[in-house]
Amino acid sequence: MSHTRLLFLSFVIVVAGSAQADLVNKNVETVVDISSQLAKISNKVTVENVGKTTLKSLIFGVPAHLKERTSFVTAKVGEHLLRVTETKLSGQDGGFWKVDLRSDLAAGRTLQLNIDLVLSRALVPHPGQITQKEKQLVLFEGNVYFYSPYLTEKQSLTVNLGTNSVESYARIQPVSQSDNKLNYGPYEKVPPFQEERLNIHYENNSPFLTITRLERLIEVSHWGNIAVEETVDIEHQGATLKGSFSRYEYQRESQSGISSVKSFRTALPASAVDVYYRDDIGNISTSHMRVLSDSVELELRPRFPLFGGWKTHYTLGYNVPSYEYLFNQGDVFVLKMRLMDHVFDDMYIEHLITKIILPEGCHSIELTAPYAVERLKDTLHHTYLDTKGRPVISVSKRQLVENHIDDFELRYNFAKVLMIQEPLLVITAFFALFVLVIIYVRLDFSISEEEEHSRVDREHKDK
Amino acid sequence: MVTSAALYHLMWMINITIDIRNVCVFLAPFFSSLTTIVTYLLTKELKDSAAGLVAAAMIAIVPGYISRSVAGSYDNEGIAIFCMLLTYYMWIKAVKTGKIFWSALAALAYFYMVSSWGGYVFLINLIPMHVFTLMVTGRFGARVYVAYCTLYCLGTILAMQISFVGFQPVQSSEHMLALGVFGLCQLHCFVDYLRGHLSASDFQVLFKATIVATGTILAVITGILTITGKVSPWTGRFYSLLDPSYAKNHIPIIASVSEHQPTSWSSFYFDLQLLVFLFPAGLYFCFRQLTDANIFLILYGVTSIYFAGVMVRLMLVLAPVMCILGGIAMSGMLNRYMKDVDASPVILGMPAGNLAQGKQGDKRSKHKQESNFVMKSEIATLFVAIMCFFLISYTMHCTWVTSEAYSSPSIVLSARSHDNSRIIFDDFREAYYWLRMNTPEDARVMSWWDYGYQITAMANRTILVDNNTWNNTHISRVGQAMASSEDKAYAIMRELDVNYVLVIFGGLTGYSSDDINKFLWMVRIGGSTDRGAHIKEWDYYTPQGEFRVDKEGSPTLLNCLMYKMCYYRFGQVYTEGGRPPGYDRVRGAEIGNKDFELDVLEEAYTSEHWLVRIYKVKDLPNRGL
Repeated sequence: MSHTRLLFLSFVIVVAGSAQADLVNKNVETVVDISSQLAKISNKVTVENVGKTTLKSLIFGVPAHLKERTSFVTAKVGEHLLRVTETKLSGQDGGFWKVDLRSDLAAGRTLQLNIDLVLSRALVPHPGQITQKEKQLVLFEGNVYFYSPYLTEKQSLTVNLGTNSVESYARIQPVSQSDNKLNYGPYEKVPPFQEERLNIHYENNSPFLTITRLERLIEVSHWGNIAVEETVDIEHQGATLKGSFSRYEYQRESQSGISSVKSFRTALPASAVDVYYRDDIGNISTSHMRVLSDSVELELRPRFPLFGGWKTHYTLGYNVPSYEYLFNQGDVFVLKMRLMDHVFDDMYIEHLITKIILPEGCHSIELTAPYAVERLKDTLHHTYLDTKGRPVISVSKRQLVENHIDDFELRYNFAKVLMIQEPLLVITAFFALFVLVIIYVRLDFSISEEEEHSRVDREHKDK
Repeated sequence: MVTSAALYHLMWMINITIDIRNVCVFLAPFFSSLTTIVTYLLTKELKDSAAGLVAAAMIAIVPGYISRSVAGSYDNEGIAIFCMLLTYYMWIKAVKTGKIFWSALAALAYFYMVSSWGGYVFLINLIPMHVFTLMVTGRFGARVYVAYCTLYCLGTILAMQISFVGFQPVQSSEHMLALGVFGLCQLHCFVDYLRGHLSASDFQVLFKATIVATGTILAVITGILTITGKVSPWTGRFYSLLDPSYAKNHIPIIASVSEHQPTSWSSFYFDLQLLVFLFPAGLYFCFRQLTDANIFLILYGVTSIYFAGVMVRLMLVLAPVMCILGGIAMSGMLNRYMKDVDASPVILGMPAGNLAQGKQGDKRSKHKQESNFVMKSEIATLFVAIMCFFLISYTMHCTWVTSEAYSSPSIVLSARSHDNSRIIFDDFREAYYWLRMNTPEDARVMSWWDYGYQITAMANRTILVDNNTWNNTHISRVGQAMASSEDKAYAIMRELDVNYVLVIFGGLTGYSSDDINKFLWMVRIGGSTDRGAHIKEWDYYTPQGEFRVDKEGSPTLLNCLMYKMCYYRFGQVYTEGGRPPGYDRVRGAEIGNKDFELDVLEEAYTSEHWLVRIYKVKDLPNRGL
């Protein structure tokens, strides 16, 4: 305990004397939702500035074993999003984030924040292999306490399991189970960086689908259309299927293969038309489309049900009108679209690549992403009626969840005169062809006269 | 395949970013449209442009050819027919003009043909036969000599570049006719040359001596070569062409393919309709005006109709010549009667007109007898009307056949449910895609050879045997595995290093061309080699000689691997109301062996409607277990 304290003191000295120790978490209410394949942690934190100086920022974190699994972090005051940047604390191996407060926190004042985290891959199937009959059990290893560099005066924790069949859970008193919830706490006077494993072993049959790779291709046409195509690799990363797959049992018993995934729903923009759903060997005939008022809902059924460890791959494409996403003033255009879109609820994407194909002749391209992404090298794409190729902007990012669905902004210059380049190209090509034919028909290219005679002779004979 | 790749690259070069799959899908229709043009040109060479137009119109819709050229039928035959007709066109041109240019082009077209289809053998026998017939009929001359020698030399050298052909053009007996005729050409020319320089009596002596000498030498050489094995004996496929019953008795694998069955009369009519009747008429028109080119057409027609009778598949070769002859007949007949129809309104409508009188007078002077016919124009009108009716009915028939028989994909099945809505069985792709995504990339799949190509293309997995049935014994081995009991089959599967086994089962949906119905062929083919001598067809029949899957069926059948794989756990399934569980809807019987477990296999995947069932071959059990 004193050891931690010492470390903490040393940290205070290191980090720019911002008097972090002056903060105290007066009350933390944590809700952990582990009913889907993701662990969604939302903390309602009330902080108090017990020091003497005004504060501009505060820090929170996750223990080391959850650091790699944290996909998404957000902090809000009321409805206002705060800027969150990743940071490091010396001597600590957990993951930390710094929150910039909108308004300064004066001495003695309190502030209520909502800090939300989404952990992916935090639920591990245990056992890792099940037969078709068995249900899927998963193990969650979280942290009981709110992981913070400050003293927490009072904390309570609610775990939402989504089921009432729990094998075991961490007995850190006081704790109680009610229906499909676990209530921990309240705990008082929790020291900084307090770790205590929150181990819960329970049944979770929700779809454990991971999108191992999503390639989103946005092709912009200035003639009024934007084509979107998503190539998706999906793997069921829950407990893998052990032994044989019996179609008989799967069809007869509803409990058989309960953790497998038959279908999922994808929401497309409301203006999406010409939707196609196919894979390497053609159209997948098992899908339904419903046009709702605010979106187009697709029920996608892979060719086969996905059991643990099974993979599939498909391509989904559609067109949207460009007036909803493409804006211009003179020759300056701005494309505002989603960097990634919804594939299914509670999805987890391991690797996203978004490519934007702009019309030929665009230049001075600037990309503003909603969060940090890796910008890949620009390339050129050649397709119908292109001469020098279309610029392609590609970005890549790993570990994404639904909360990452957000718009990017792409600003570029395009001279509108270039629009008529392609029609002109076609006209010229046909004109050249006709001229050639005219020349060929009108002129006689034969070298000797004889040929002509013999042909005429033969024609006479034929008659 | 090279063609589609070339087209693909060409398209990409001009920035038409078309998918290679789309190139493949549209390759056959593209080539069949080229075929239509070539048919026109060929018929124009043989007869006139009117006949060419009719023939081209006919070949455009003839079901016999459409069956191979619908979009998506990516097969060699699609290109091959075009190449064949192109070669014929060049050949006829060469024979007519006697120019090396045309005959070299013919050689190039022939080379394309060789590279695309094994059926080039027909071509390389037909052209020499034509030359030979010309010789016999005394029409042989310098033009034919130049045409044939150029074609043969160039064509053979080019053909030998194809690895599949290799040295066959000079070794195998299928090509001997071409070689023989080539030799004969030289002799014939030489003889002609000598005849010009010697006196008649000297020539007679020399002629006889030469014939005897060459005959003996040829016989000796052929004998030696055949004995030493340089000249390969005739292949089975060729024998089955000459003797329809040969395959059935000797090579079950050839007989098992429905395409290789002898053609029934109804299928002639189904695929050709009107052309069946126009064919003799076309021959008549050809005989009436015999030329070098027409002789070729007659030969082509007669030989191909024989071959098409032997094998359903060769209907494809017959269809173009049927169209050409049909076109000639139709245009010939219409030409004749159309004139009279034309004249009638002039006579009837303007009795006092100068024009009519002039025409009548003209006719009277030229064709005195013709004008004596009564009701000439009425008969002509009637005749033309009947012909029109025939042509229209031909069009209707072709459209109907194409839409009914040749347009639905064989990989996606559809059926009507009780409330008349359409049900789609997409099980094949479902299972193949499962294989593609969820098995190790180096997995080996054993299945009957019919599905070989599909699995290779759609599942992207290694298969043991495929539709290219060159490895007879291997297929037989797979047949043996399917027909054996589990233990024996396991030994064979270990030997073949199989990971997955795939069977097609239609008992639940009523899909009749499944593996149980093909099973007798597996038994026959399996038993046709030495290693499968223990498999006897009669063991799989009941004592009464029936093939039954119910309790009455033979125990060998009820315990063989194929039976077990198809009916695993099927005994518990209710397929039809009012029937016991395990009722097979194809065979119309309750299966005989219901409760059994598989020892060496485990069910890996079964598609939604049970059409495709995939089993995983278990590893050897650990010792002591």
